[in-house]
Amino acid sequence: MVFSIAYHFLRERAAAEEVAQDVFLQLHRRFNDFQPGPDREKHISHWLRKVASHRCIDYVRKQRTQPVSGLAVSLDDAPPPRVAGEPEDHFLNQRLETLIASLPEKPRMVTILRYQEDLMPEEIASLLDMPVRTVKSHLQRSLGMLREKIGRSMGNIR
Amino acid sequence: MMDDFEKQIQQALSRKDPSPFFEARVLAAAKRDAQARRANWRMWWASAVAASLLIVTGSAWQYEKGVQERAAGEQAKARLELALKVTSVKLQKISQKVDAIQN
Repeated sequence: MVFSIAYHFLRERAAAEEVAQDVFLQLHRRFNDFQPGPDREKHISHWLRKVASHRCIDYVRKQRTQPVSGLAVSLDDAPPPRVAGEPEDHFLNQRLETLIASLPEKPRMVTILRYQEDLMPEEIASLLDMPVRTVKSHLQRSLGMLREKIGRSMGNIR
Repeated sequence: MMDDFEKQIQQALSRKDPSPFFEARVLAAAKRDAQARRANWRMWWASAVAASLLIVTGSAWQYEKGVQERAAGEQAKARLELALKVTSVKLQKISQKVDAIQN
């Protein structure tokens, strides 16, 4: 769960493992704060998702303040080359992953929590400390943008 | 209800696993972290004990210095009182002699 959130958000295995390791270390330090009981596992999951989400956003912001070497390429401008014989679904998934990674930080995290973690807008709002209305609006706009871009590069899906 | 496109997104965002050594790396990091925190705790205790000793020693030294200064003060006061007493006796004798000469 933690690694997966970080991986989909950062799209870089090493960075995702670094963030996930930090989150687990923090959990290790704070483990005794979680009172034993029937809801303990639920609380830990909620805490892990919350800390992982915030850490990912912080990580990207920190990276942004550091100088970037090389040429910056917009991810949604050029579709990835399709390998001959690759199944359509796999190609579509890759394209979607790339497009999601190109969303702004907050809408990207909202999308990941909604579709990877299968969370409801109310739960996402509590994790990201934002109003439910904002979560819904991020979701709507992200979906619209993804639909439009995927439609442009691959033809209409619906 | 999710539509087909949303299901496709869900599929694209399926859970990914970290590299096989990730778990071992996290456990090793947790062990290192616990050791570092124990060392920090020991260092904190050592500093606290050293600071307490310094305060106790400083206070004792200050108290001892105060006692010595008070004793020296008392001695000086006694000497001054004695000197005044001697002077007063001598002055009284001189005054008596002067009175005797005048009468």
